[in-house]
Amino acid sequence: MSYDDVEIEDMEWNEELQSYTYPCPCGDLFQITKEDLKLGEEIARCPSCSLYITVIYNIEDFLEQKSKKNLEPPKQQPVSVA
Amino acid sequence: MGNWERTGLRTITSLNFFSFPSLSSAGPISLLACGGAHVIALTSAGKVLTWGRGTSGQLGHGEIVNCTLNPKPLTSLESYFITYVSAGWSHSGFVSDTGCLFTCGDGLFGQLGHGDYRSLCSPVKVSFFVNQHVAQIACGMRHSLVLLKDCTLNQVYGFGSGKRGQLGISKDRIKSISLPEVTNGLEGVEIVGINANGDHSAALTVDGHLYTWGRGYNGLSDAHLPQRLGSSMCFTQATLGWNHGLALTGDGKVFMLGGNKHGVLSDPEKLSPAKQLPDSKESILDKVPGLDGIKVEHIAAGAEHSALVTENGEIKTWGWGEHGQLGLGDTCDQTCPVTVSLGYILNGAATVRVYCGSGFTFATVTPCILC
Repeated sequence: MSYDDVEIEDMEWNEELQSYTYPCPCGDLFQITKEDLKLGEEIARCPSCSLYITVIYNIEDFLEQKSKKNLEPPKQQPVSVA
Repeated sequence: MGNWERTGLRTITSLNFFSFPSLSSAGPISLLACGGAHVIALTSAGKVLTWGRGTSGQLGHGEIVNCTLNPKPLTSLESYFITYVSAGWSHSGFVSDTGCLFTCGDGLFGQLGHGDYRSLCSPVKVSFFVNQHVAQIACGMRHSLVLLKDCTLNQVYGFGSGKRGQLGISKDRIKSISLPEVTNGLEGVEIVGINANGDHSAALTVDGHLYTWGRGYNGLSDAHLPQRLGSSMCFTQATLGWNHGLALTGDGKVFMLGGNKHGVLSDPEKLSPAKQLPDSKESILDKVPGLDGIKVEHIAAGAEHSALVTENGEIKTWGWGEHGQLGLGDTCDQTCPVTVSLGYILNGAATVRVYCGSGFTFATVTPCILC
């Protein structure tokens, strides 16, 4: 079971870990990367213990950053019908 | 001094006797403050030593360090006689006998009280209180509380993150403030002690009444202003964790606030639904089980574990045990207080004290000739 639900705005960006972090009651940090967030992952884990938190965020906020880099939005793939 | 804590190399699960040369030469310890991963020791001679994680400057030695393993005297405060210290998640507070307040460490949420959001790696005097006499500081995860001495009006101040109501300064939701503001709702009562941990805050009055504010316990809604616990009991000590609080009555009984996860973090199956009176928003104090006939003298709360000392000098611990922080020789959780083996016999009368941080615990044993 998730230790806590934490909003992304309450997490801190850690340059060294390249992750969003939040204090874990063991003294270490719950961590989740931008790549995880783009994939829709909502669990941030602590590398030192069994606990994890649920990150509350809007996936669009992270996908937008990606699409800004691409000048053309990805075209929908045609569905092939057998 | 005994210590059982997690290190980077191994998990220490039982009480180990540590002899720190720098600590023993500093004289008897009057107070230990345990934070997220750092410790502040205050000696009876008013000197301060710090050790542990220093990545935000919370050790106060003028540098950012990953970790200092041995207690190191805080030379920048040497000219002061320090009377009170507190350790938050990654910031520190020090109070001198002349009522000056110094802070250092992580300032990202304004929790250092200097009017900005900078972090500091050496203690700096908080100029806001320069004309007042500070008695205590309490450092939480991202906020701080200050108690002024001999002040009937505006005794308690808060600064730092206020998102969960932990500053108690307004009914409205406050993100964070970097200059102290008065905590409201404590008018007409005399406060003798303040506590902060996680996103919780508490104050104890001279009459033994307990006020709490900040994040709600057991999933209840947050309290943005101090609320007096409806209990008619008279408390002499209070201590807070990240999801629970403990209160000690004058006759040595221990009560817990919140704590439906206490001692079951590793086994969610056992998680009990939040206890709540129907139609009540008020947190409930539950008597800690297994202590019938035992008089408790001292209590301590870590992020997710608890410790107490009985009148016989026995240490008992309970709560989350994954990192050996209960000192019971294993990594199990405990829902009731269990006696810790000291591993040696106390010679003569001694004062035993326990101090809990995030996932670690310290005990001090001071022979009474030094008390």
